[in-house]
This record gives sequence, C-alpha cells and structure tokens, in this order.
Amino acid sequence: MTSDTAAPSNLEDPSNVRRWLQTNHPKQFALLDNFEIELRLGRFSSTRDASKPGAHQGSASSRYQYGRDRRLITTRTVELVRAIIGPTRWKTAAQLLTLLRGLGNELHAAGGYREPAIGNVLRRIMYAVRDEADHVVPSQSSGVDDMEKIDELTEHVSSKLRVSTGKELSLASMLWAHPQHVTKHSRQPSGDYNDRLRSDSMGSESGIDCWDANGSNIYPPHFYSRRDDLRQSVMEAIQEMMSELEDLHKNINEQATQHIHAGEIILTYALSKTVELFLKAAAAKKRKFQVIVCEGAPHFGGHQMAKSLAEAGIDTTVIHDAATFAIMARVNKVLLPAHAVLANGGLIAPSGSNMVALAAKQNSVPVVTVAGMFKLCPMYPHEGQNTLNDLISPSSILDYSLMGDPVLSEVELVNPVHDYIPPQLIDLHVTNIGGFQPSYIYRLLAEYYHSDDWEAFE
Amino acid sequence: MTTPHPAITDLTTHLLTPQTKRIPLPVAAIRVLLSTIRRSRAETMMGLQAELREASDVMVDFAKRGGPVETTNDDGIKVTRYLLANRSHTALTSGTHLFLKYVTRASLETPDFTLCKSQVLERGTRFAEFSLAARDRIASTASNFIREGSTILTHGRSSVVEALLLRAATVEKKRFKVIVLEGRPDAGGAKSAKTYDAAGIPTVLILDSAMGYIAERTRIDMVLVGAEGVAENGGVVNKVGTFALGIVAKELGVPFYVAAESYKFTRMFPLNNADLPEVKSEEEDGAGLRLIKFLDTLSWSGDGGGKSSEAQDGSSNNSGSGGGLEKYLVDLPKSISVENPPCDFTPAKYITLLFTDLGVLTPSAVSDELIRLYQ
Repeated sequence: MTSDTAAPSNLEDPSNVRRWLQTNHPKQFALLDNFEIELRLGRFSSTRDASKPGAHQGSASSRYQYGRDRRLITTRTVELVRAIIGPTRWKTAAQLLTLLRGLGNELHAAGGYREPAIGNVLRRIMYAVRDEADHVVPSQSSGVDDMEKIDELTEHVSSKLRVSTGKELSLASMLWAHPQHVTKHSRQPSGDYNDRLRSDSMGSESGIDCWDANGSNIYPPHFYSRRDDLRQSVMEAIQEMMSELEDLHKNINEQATQHIHAGEIILTYALSKTVELFLKAAAAKKRKFQVIVCEGAPHFGGHQMAKSLAEAGIDTTVIHDAATFAIMARVNKVLLPAHAVLANGGLIAPSGSNMVALAAKQNSVPVVTVAGMFKLCPMYPHEGQNTLNDLISPSSILDYSLMGDPVLSEVELVNPVHDYIPPQLIDLHVTNIGGFQPSYIYRLLAEYYHSDDWEAFE
Repeated sequence: MTTPHPAITDLTTHLLTPQTKRIPLPVAAIRVLLSTIRRSRAETMMGLQAELREASDVMVDFAKRGGPVETTNDDGIKVTRYLLANRSHTALTSGTHLFLKYVTRASLETPDFTLCKSQVLERGTRFAEFSLAARDRIASTASNFIREGSTILTHGRSSVVEALLLRAATVEKKRFKVIVLEGRPDAGGAKSAKTYDAAGIPTVLILDSAMGYIAERTRIDMVLVGAEGVAENGGVVNKVGTFALGIVAKELGVPFYVAAESYKFTRMFPLNNADLPEVKSEEEDGAGLRLIKFLDTLSWSGDGGGKSSEAQDGSSNNSGSGGGLEKYLVDLPKSISVENPPCDFTPAKYITLLFTDLGVLTPSAVSDELIRLYQ
C-alpha cells in the first residue's frame, strides 16, 4: 500500500481516512472523535439507555459488565456510519469501501476489538455497498473484449441453470474458469515467494488480468466508476439494518416458546440482556419453568440476572459456578449468552461458559445460545482460548488493599473475560433470523459478508 | 501387447516428465482430456463426449491398476514401474468428472459444435492454471491458523501443505515446528521434510508408527494434512495413515485440518474404508503390486556392507546380487499375505476444518459446493 502523502484528500488508502475526514469534513470528523472517546471509556452502557427501563444501573463503573447492551453499541455504530457516509464526498464504490475500511480500522484501534459487533456491522455495510455496486453494471463500458462477452454469456446461461456463478468463489464459477480463480489473492504481502508464484501461475494468460492489472486495484473495475445512485441505495440498506436492529429482540423472543417448554429447568450463566429478555418473553406467554442462574464469578452478573428474572415472576435459583456440574443432571436445557459467534459455529461467551458447556455435554443436556446476527463474526478461532479474549484488571478477583501483603503481591492473578466454546459442544444458535446448527453458520456468513471483507480490521 | 490408449500415453508422459511430475493429478487428468479434444475427430458433441468418457474411464482403470509402465532399468532389463501405486484414483476421478461436467455445460451454452469445441479448449487451458492460483489462495487464507511457536504434525507429501507452511515461515516469518511422519512406503514425508528444512523450519522426522507417541508427548497444536480427494460428506481420501492420525487427533483433542484444492471435491459418499473404490493391492502378479518391502533398516548400517548384526538376521537368506539391501529384506513365505492400501478414508467427524481455495470450510460445506455444481 502506498500512502500518498502529497494529497491527503484522496480516498485510496484506508489509512488516509482520518486525515481525509479532518481536512474535508470537520463535522463528521468530530462525530468520529466523540464516538472513539466514548468507546475508549466504555461509556456506552450508561449514556443513552440509562433512561430505558431494564437498563442495569450501578454497573457502569466496570468496563466489562455482562449484560451491557451490545445492541446499543451496534446501533450507535450504524448511526455513526450513516452520519459519516451520508454527507461526505466520496464518488465511487471503491472510495466508499476504502472509507468504510478506514473507519473500521479507526474504531478497532479505539477499542472496537473488544466489541466484534462493530466490525461486523461495518462489514455488512461493505457487503451492501458491493451488492449495490454490482447490481447495475454501468453501461458506459463500451470496449468489452470477447472474453468479457463470453463471461456475460456464461453468466446468462448459468443463471438460467440456476447456478450461482457470480463473483463469489464456488466450484461452479471455477468450472467456468472465472477470472477470480486464476488471479491471485488481492491482498498479500509481497515477497519473493509470492512473486515467483505469481509469475508462474499468471504465465502468458491474457484477458484475465483485468482484475488485478496493476496490483493496486483491489476491487473489480466497475467499482471505480462514478455512481450517483449509489448513495441513495446504500443509505436504504443502512436503514434496513437499523430496523433489523430495532426488531432484534422481538424477533429472537418470538422463538422463546419453541425452546422453553412448560416445567423445564433452564440453566443460564451470568448476565445477558438477550437471555434475560428471552426468558422473560417465555414467561410472559404463561410458560411455567424454572431458571437456575450461575452467579458468574468474579463479576457476579448472575446476581443481577436472577433479581431481574425473579421480578418478572420466574422461579429462579442462583448457584455458585462450581456447583454447575452437580446441578447439571437435573437441567433440561442450557441457555448461553454470546459475545460473538465464530465462523466455525463456535462461541465466545463469558469466562466460565466453556465449563458449563462441557458439563452439559457430559450429561447430554442440549446447549442453546441466544444471539443477534450482528454477533456473527467472520473469523476462525485461530488462537484457541485466546480468540477475541482479553485479560483485565484483577480487581474483581482480589481486593487491591490486600496487595500490601508481601506474599500476596508475588501471586499472579489472571482474569480472562471470555471463553471459547467449540462448535461440537453447541446444539443450536437461536438468532433473530431463526435457529441454526453450528455447522450451518458458514452459509450465513456467505449471506452476510463478502469474503474479501473478512479480513480483520487493524 | 496392444498399443496403449493415447490418453494413457499422455498421462504417463505427464507423470514421467520432471517438469510436470508434481502437477496435481486432477489437473494432469484435465490436461490429458484437453489433448484428447485436440486429437478428436468427432463431429458431434455426443461423439466428443463419448471419447472423453472413454479416455476418462481408461485413465481411472489405469490408476486402479497402479499405473503400470514398461521401462528398461539400468541393466537393460524390462521392468514394470508403478507410477500411481501410492495414489488414489479418486484424485483423477474428481478432475475428469469436473471437466466432463464442464463440457456438458458448455455444449448447452453454445450449440454450435466447432465454436463450442474451440471455446472449451480455450477455457480449458485456464483450468490448467488453477492449481497454482488455488494453492496460493489456500496458503494465504489458511496461514492464519499457524500460530507463532506452535508444533504442527503433518503426514504425506502434499504440495498444498508445503506451500502453506512455506508461506507461513518465509513470507510471514512465523516461527513454528513441524513434525513429519516418514510416509511409508514412498517416504513422501521424508521428501517433504527436506523441503521444510531447506526453508529453515525446525523439522522432526518420525516413523509412521510413532504418531501416537509423538502427538501425545510433544503436545502438538494441530494436525495438517493434504488430500487426494474430498468426499461429498466432507471426509477425505489421503495417504494411508491419515485415518489413524485423525483418530489420534480426536482422542487428544487436537484440531485436524485438511488443505485441499476444491477441484478435489468428488461426488462420492463413502461411509467407511470399505466403501472406498477397491484398490487392487495384491497378487496381481506376485512382484506386481507387492511393492512394499519389509526391510530391517536397523541392521542395515547404510553403506551396504555387512555388519555384525548380519548373523542374527536369519530370515534374510537371499543375499544375492550385491546391491547390499537385499540381505536385510525379511524373506516372507508365500503364506503370509501382504496388504498395501495406498490411501485410506478419514470420515468427516475427525476433521475440524478444510482449507480450500473457496475459503475455510467446515466438512458439511463440501456437499453444499458439490450440490451447487452438479444439481
């Protein structure tokens, strides 16, 4: 990537985005700055929704409060993106995608990595942009060579055969020898090894290098042409996303009675807004069931959860986490909250959940997770238990006043926030668009994100 | 002897030429079919397709027989070499099926025969370019899975796995350790180990039979293998020993990854090893496929000269022409039957993820891709 220092106003490199906004759109830049500050301070749980009924008060002091309304952060992110891309002066789909990627990197650096949902909604907006840009290929491309004609013809015929041979990679598109199969992966660090491979495989091929002609073009050529209608359609897509987020809990909770049956004993872990509302929705439909809540040490979100459930008239029991295994034999179903759902169908959930899932497996108790689709992350657990995890201050484990003790001060305290739960321990993901087995998640990913946008923000 | 089918001649040329020897089998098969089209005198699409099917069947049959080729050895004696003795013909089948499907589609698209034929040829040459592009794509998407400081156990000689590991080591400068199984009988693992070592990756080479020991003792972080073919249910056909390795990995709770190009996806649905298309492993003609040699390598001290342990070696009484190795061969009576399966089938439940050029897939995604193509 060559960053053009001479002209900070161009939108060719995601790393220019901050400067671009600063020089051209100071108002939007201020919005971004404010958002980043709030994100850094972890303030979202106590700002706007403090007035909302059901918001958890008195917990704003802890940055890692489970049950913090992630949906709010997600909504605020979408609002921010809307406010930034709405009035700013980008002209092409490629510029818009660069802007979005730059925003993603910005937010990631400002602590967004703790909230994968932020990256997820950005990727979804990017997908919408690609979709809209692909929708009507501009007609001014008069000089189509024969190869392109054949490609078009192929696409035409195969759409008749109801085979998707679009820009997505598939066996079918490979069969038609679409250029994306022959050209290189667009984003790779250049190195001797790659250069050699590149020259080997490109060989004397002609007519296929339109995609990657000069290396810097990471998007298809028609993404670089000016599209005046793009703004309108992208804003519409964002609006759709907003309404989806608004109806999120409603859509999840509609399924509550399918999963929670009369007389069942449901075990849940720590505090989660989504799980809480899910259980309450079932109770509101006159289902009589019992809930066992693990207290979720060391943050003890389970206490709040139990209080809230009891207030709604649900028969609630709190157990300490270590009693999970002992109680599992009498449990009918485990309901887990999600920090993120990963590409392999695995789950990132509050630290300690993996133990609950293992205990459930041992007793053949089904494990169901409840999560909005915005938690679906296009990433694999490359790092095992460290995936998306964070080690935080041990103040919740041990009182700082005890640290004066010369022996205790030598003790190391580890306080991870999350657990990774492998897909084989999970039976069902309940989302706002329905219930899915972990093995189906890869398909949802293809529907929500473009594979070229999977790449992590940095 | 009758003259071999031209497809066989093409295929053997491919397999014997040093430059093309390591081209993946499915791609080689596609190249052969392309030249079949070039040679063809068929005047209709049906005729051409029949010729292609014939060539495909002949190649598969050839592979099932282990790929016998008559050659003369150094002493000028005619011997039979088995070029595909350690390969599965599924790799070949996936390539030819894909190509036949493509020709069928092309004929629907372009009814005019000559135009269609030239188009098939033109596009077909692109097929041949896939393998490197696919490999490269796999390497760049999957090298994320290789973590700094990890230990990776691998089996067999797969160009995809090699590309992936080399990329992680040389381009991304990750430090990790590779443990390679020897890969009897063709020492594929040992050959791979040389490649890794040359790239500066710390490499350990072990006997195939040590897989359980090494996996448990060194606390490996992942198993990474290639594949000859990927079945519709997400299971893979690969060098014999992969199945055992899968069981070991599952037992130890280690992730088991398979790297394979998507053109290796095959429409077959084996449930276990008995469902694999039969491999004629034995007794075709005594020497024939009894390729595997049982050699007391411990007594053999390398330079062919007899050493002290020779005396204990009661069984090897055929100390013949002086190559040296023969006297360490365990002389087996005819009553012992030898089985030498080149490949085995690892069911999907042992596989964590597949690294393909279509992305990182769960085993269940394979059937999805195949259905989208062959619906």
